[in-house]
Amino acid sequence: MNNPKLSIVDLTKRYAPGLDPAVDCLSMSVEEGHLVALLGPSGCGKTTTLRMVAGLMDPTSGSIMVDGKDITQTPVHKRGMGMVFQSYALFPHMDVAQNVAFGLQMRKVGSKEQNRRVVEALDLVKLGHLAGRQVKELSGGQQQRIAIARALVVEPTLLLLDEPLSNLDAKLRENMRTEIRSIQQRTGATTLFVTHDQDEALDMADRIAVMNGGIIEQYGAPAEVYERPQTHFVADFIGQANFFASAVVADDGAAADGERSYVVDVDGFGRFGAVGAAGLAGSTHEIVVRPHRLKTSLQQPAGPFIEGVIERVSYTGDSLSLGLRAGGKELLSQMPTASSGIPRLGQTAYLSWDPADAFIIPGTAGIPHGTERPATADALAAQDVA
Amino acid sequence: MSQNTLAAHPPAAARTAAPVFKPRRKTGTFVFNALVFLLYLFLLAPLLIVVVISFASNQYLSFPPEGFTLDWYAALPGQETFMSGLRISLITASAVTVLVLILGVPAALALARFRFKGKAAIQAFFLSPLMIPSIVLALGLVLLFGPLKLNNTYAGIIIGHIAVTFPFVVRTTLMSLATTDTSCEEAARILGGDSWTVFRRITLPLIRPGVIAGGVIAFIVSFDEAVISLFVAESGLPTLPVQVLRYVENSADAAVAALSVLLILFSMAVVVIVERVMGLRKAL
Repeated sequence: MNNPKLSIVDLTKRYAPGLDPAVDCLSMSVEEGHLVALLGPSGCGKTTTLRMVAGLMDPTSGSIMVDGKDITQTPVHKRGMGMVFQSYALFPHMDVAQNVAFGLQMRKVGSKEQNRRVVEALDLVKLGHLAGRQVKELSGGQQQRIAIARALVVEPTLLLLDEPLSNLDAKLRENMRTEIRSIQQRTGATTLFVTHDQDEALDMADRIAVMNGGIIEQYGAPAEVYERPQTHFVADFIGQANFFASAVVADDGAAADGERSYVVDVDGFGRFGAVGAAGLAGSTHEIVVRPHRLKTSLQQPAGPFIEGVIERVSYTGDSLSLGLRAGGKELLSQMPTASSGIPRLGQTAYLSWDPADAFIIPGTAGIPHGTERPATADALAAQDVA
Repeated sequence: MSQNTLAAHPPAAARTAAPVFKPRRKTGTFVFNALVFLLYLFLLAPLLIVVVISFASNQYLSFPPEGFTLDWYAALPGQETFMSGLRISLITASAVTVLVLILGVPAALALARFRFKGKAAIQAFFLSPLMIPSIVLALGLVLLFGPLKLNNTYAGIIIGHIAVTFPFVVRTTLMSLATTDTSCEEAARILGGDSWTVFRRITLPLIRPGVIAGGVIAFIVSFDEAVISLFVAESGLPTLPVQVLRYVENSADAAVAALSVLLILFSMAVVVIVERVMGLRKAL
């Protein structure tokens, strides 16, 4: 990222003095042509961040730079952005073509050029035939696409999408995901996308910024955020997860991608393998194992395992989700279905994992897992040194 | 066989049940319609009497009518006081409508879209003339206008009428603003519209029903206003309502009734035309 399209530096928004900031010293940069998702629960500051980038809201402090130029003080109408609102915000008193042409008129584009670009933009969203329609005659999906055409026709410096899919029904949402992604890639528009839907973010984004409480918990590629969550919140918010409080007992040598293999002592379940960043030996951390990476079998496996009782079985056709109780802990696992041998409630199952599938979350150091846990970890570490 | 009888049973029951309900609903509808009719009669009786009297050949304002005549209508154009009153009232009401919209719409916009100190107090203040008896306002205006030399001037009447009509415009505009999506304005700003362009091309068209409703109400209220006009400009610029008052004081023929009928028709025409052309009902 040597030449970021957008960089946000120490951006802070405090709605009132004394209140916790809605956005707290947030910094990130977005590469040209990327689609970046701001993902988080409601109230995490993602929409506030987007509105500050758009210029609809003044930051309390910090700066926003586009193409290396500070635009923090630039008024909204001079920023040259394109935005698609959750409600689409089409102008109800204009027809489709007038809606799309509005931004061009503001830029004093000649009427011939206007017509050409409106047609082009409507063709881009495959709604060229609706140019003369009134806005209220359109379906939600069509309105959405018109809103995208209206934002893109001005060739915006940044395309900002504020939960654009949340008002569509499930089926249409799937289609629009692909549609938006393909339009974005064809136009190469650098895009900031606010969503609370992790599937949407994983599916569409080049980079995901997982936000919580006004800060970015983790910023990275979808696979990175999913496979290598840096905090408990990220692991928990994106996808399903099993967490185990573990003492990292010993470094077990190099793993793939510059990571290290470790031997961990999982709280109450014995010693397992896990991977993580260098230098974690001797500390206490949480490890995360995704349900579909938990190997579940009804026979005792050879290596270390966790024994659990099946409490919940949910069969979806191509996969089987299990809820298990093991040592007072609720665990989730997923397995491909077989035509026979479906696990039953109350049966005992054995869980294990490949060391590469258990990730030591670095951001959870020092979390008190149990009252005596740190002491035990210290003792274990001391034992190992000896 | 038994299945057949079962299947046949419910429709038969429904058929017998239907006539039982029908007459009862009919009586209910009849009573309701009769009550509504009486209510309207009660509300409209004074107007109806005025209409009847305006065509009556009675020498004086009285009821019942003694014969039919159109003389009272024919005599109206010759009544110099009425014609000058009408002219003054139309000029006043038109000027008031334009000015009160220019003042009221931005005021409503500020109240709806911005946050500032003392907003609640200002809002209450703007709407307060609705709660003050107009005779109190009129007296205050006379005392204030004396040293300012505004009594018996158009400026004086217009200022007085603006005070009375301002709350209506603020109200109706606020109502329209409350129902419009602010993200339309935000979208227009992001697309490059400055404040004035966004107001002219987006906000104003969206709140048009409220603005028009406010304007129509302001016009009718100003046209109809008697108390302030009487206090502020009785001798210098008597408006139509003032002339009507004076006329009734001095003479008792039915010319006033004929005039009233025309004014009723005029008001109705204004409302109907605006409703047909711009959809007033949406705003009210």
